[in-house]
Amino acid sequence: MFEIRMAKFGLSMETGTITKWYKHPGDTVKKGDILVQIESEKITNDLQSPVNGFIKVILVNDGESKAVGEIIGYIAETEEELKQENKQETPPTPQDNNIEEKTTKAPIAQPGKRGFVSASPRAKSLARDHSIDLSTVQGTGPEGRIIEKDVLDCIAKHTQTARKEPLSPLRKEIAERLFKSYQSYVLVTNMTKVDMTELLEIKKKLIPDVSVTAILIKCLGGVLLKYPEFNVHFDGSTMEKFSSVNIGVAVDTGRGLIVPVIKRADMLSAAEVNEQLKRLAEYAKKNRLRGEDVEGSHFTITNLGMMRTDMFTPVLNGQEVGILGVGRSVKELVVKDDNSIAIRTMAYFSLSYDHRIIDGALASIFLGGLAEVIENESLLKEVLKI
Amino acid sequence: MREITFSEALGEAMLEEMQRDPTIFTYGEDIAKQGGIFGAYKPILGKFQDRILDTPISEEVIFGSALGASLAGMRPVAEFHFADFLFTGMTAVANQIMKFKYMTGGQGKIHLILRGPDGISKSAAAQHSESIETLFMHIPGIKIIVPSTPYDMKGLFKTALKSDDPVICFEHKMLYARKGPVPEEEYYIPFGKADIKKEGKDVTVVSTSRMVHESLKASEQLAKEGIDVEVVDLRTLVPWDKETVLESVKKTHHLVIAHETWRRAGWGAEIAATVQEEAFDYLDGPIMRVGAKNVHIPFSPPLQDFVVPDYKSVINEVRKVLNV
Repeated sequence: MFEIRMAKFGLSMETGTITKWYKHPGDTVKKGDILVQIESEKITNDLQSPVNGFIKVILVNDGESKAVGEIIGYIAETEEELKQENKQETPPTPQDNNIEEKTTKAPIAQPGKRGFVSASPRAKSLARDHSIDLSTVQGTGPEGRIIEKDVLDCIAKHTQTARKEPLSPLRKEIAERLFKSYQSYVLVTNMTKVDMTELLEIKKKLIPDVSVTAILIKCLGGVLLKYPEFNVHFDGSTMEKFSSVNIGVAVDTGRGLIVPVIKRADMLSAAEVNEQLKRLAEYAKKNRLRGEDVEGSHFTITNLGMMRTDMFTPVLNGQEVGILGVGRSVKELVVKDDNSIAIRTMAYFSLSYDHRIIDGALASIFLGGLAEVIENESLLKEVLKI
Repeated sequence: MREITFSEALGEAMLEEMQRDPTIFTYGEDIAKQGGIFGAYKPILGKFQDRILDTPISEEVIFGSALGASLAGMRPVAEFHFADFLFTGMTAVANQIMKFKYMTGGQGKIHLILRGPDGISKSAAAQHSESIETLFMHIPGIKIIVPSTPYDMKGLFKTALKSDDPVICFEHKMLYARKGPVPEEEYYIPFGKADIKKEGKDVTVVSTSRMVHESLKASEQLAKEGIDVEVVDLRTLVPWDKETVLESVKKTHHLVIAHETWRRAGWGAEIAATVQEEAFDYLDGPIMRVGAKNVHIPFSPPLQDFVVPDYKSVINEVRKVLNV
């Protein structure tokens, strides 16, 4: 009999959640077959079978969690083993899931239902407004009449019927990390309006397939090389300075935010950055990112430009000291230095940084340097190597 | 602010308006010599010569002549001595004073006031203790003021003295000696404007006259149990301030009406009916009424206490309404 145990997919992994069993009791299993999909704090992995046999018992159902190393099921390695009565371990009666539901059945008024219920006019009116079926309400007034208080109690109970649901491992990880890190630095955000017209023009003409985010990563890479003070990790006492420029990109997976990393962004071409970005974003959305995909970021970019946000205050990722937030691009009338007026596409850039080690002046210089590259055709072309 | 009695407030109102308007004059039984049986006219005694007159015991004449004087351009203030005595001159009141404006198509302005004491005192028995304001609310044609404080007495009476409709004013005997703040400067209180004597959130008690004070006393007792009573003093019954009552009921969802007059078909029934018509969905319990039991006011002090409501009656009805 082979014991299937909760596997450890990363150094920090302590528990795993079963997202899906691919095999079910009685199914034939061959060595190398994928048995089960397991979600850890960061990533999702498949567990392969190291043996041939038959699934005997599943002890941990979909949606349930188990600590690393604990038994989650058994594989019978022979048909005899499969038929044998299981002596020690009996599968638990399947529970719905670990969602705690505290609902007194919502007494919703049934249309067409009639019959006299003793209730005060106030109670009846309230019940009507809140779609409460008075026949399900216990009256505490004289002779059991339903009074306002009874309906209010009922309404209060309803509002408590919200289900208690544990966070998904990803959301839990996000919540814990954010809470921890947010308390550990001094966050300040500088914002400036950047003229995106040149960048969009070049993209349209020369590299239409490369996304704006990929172009911005390239620009950011250049500026980070110039101002290495931002290309560091800071743990509160020591700085870790990096020579390579690894840029994390915040990706909304629909389940939560995840930050895959473009490594050595300074060495890659815009097209290569674009390619990697596409792959990582797709993996992130499909929950197929590997550990190495989300590790080693030195500076993060988060682009809300495709949505309706102009400025925001992004928070730092891990021990990084800077993060760039990109707002949406909007066409605006701009008065130029020669007093002429032009229609330009503008976007707010929000640079959040750890004020403990980055001064406001340096942040302004960094943000200005970035804007200068983006707004200048020749600098842009130089950075993009086109 | 200075404090004066209810009685002095009435006297001041008369004095100020009589000085302003020479057509105002007053007459009734035991007025000119005595200053009224509760002494309310003392401030005007000796000041206006032939404008304060004593009459024989002849209610029909007192009320009938008031109509005539009014039609002749005067503003008579006729005293009925005891509310119970109104019955003696009721033809003049209900058939003439209250109908005249209607029957002349509004040609005659009837500016007259009928005023006098009503309600219980210490064993005045059935013919000197009645509260009969409901009758005048039931029959159309006269405005009714039922003040509870010196401030309201003065402000409402001054408004009555400027009114171009007949007004009847019921002054509760037990209130005449009661003191209260009244400003030195002149003021008027419009008819149909209730006064919230105490704000509260749990139950509305609507009352007038003496029962306002009983209701306030009840609210103090109930407050000790955590029941927050709102006491609304209607001050005038025709017109009565429906908006304030409805607003209060919409807030508290509970209503008690407290009056000294008989509970059966007393004016509280009118308020109750109106509230259930116009604020039905806001009521969280039955509307209860506090009123005298359905007998005449007894001479025997213990029996008078038994028949006539007080603060304990208000507390009882509030408990019923709130089911506590």
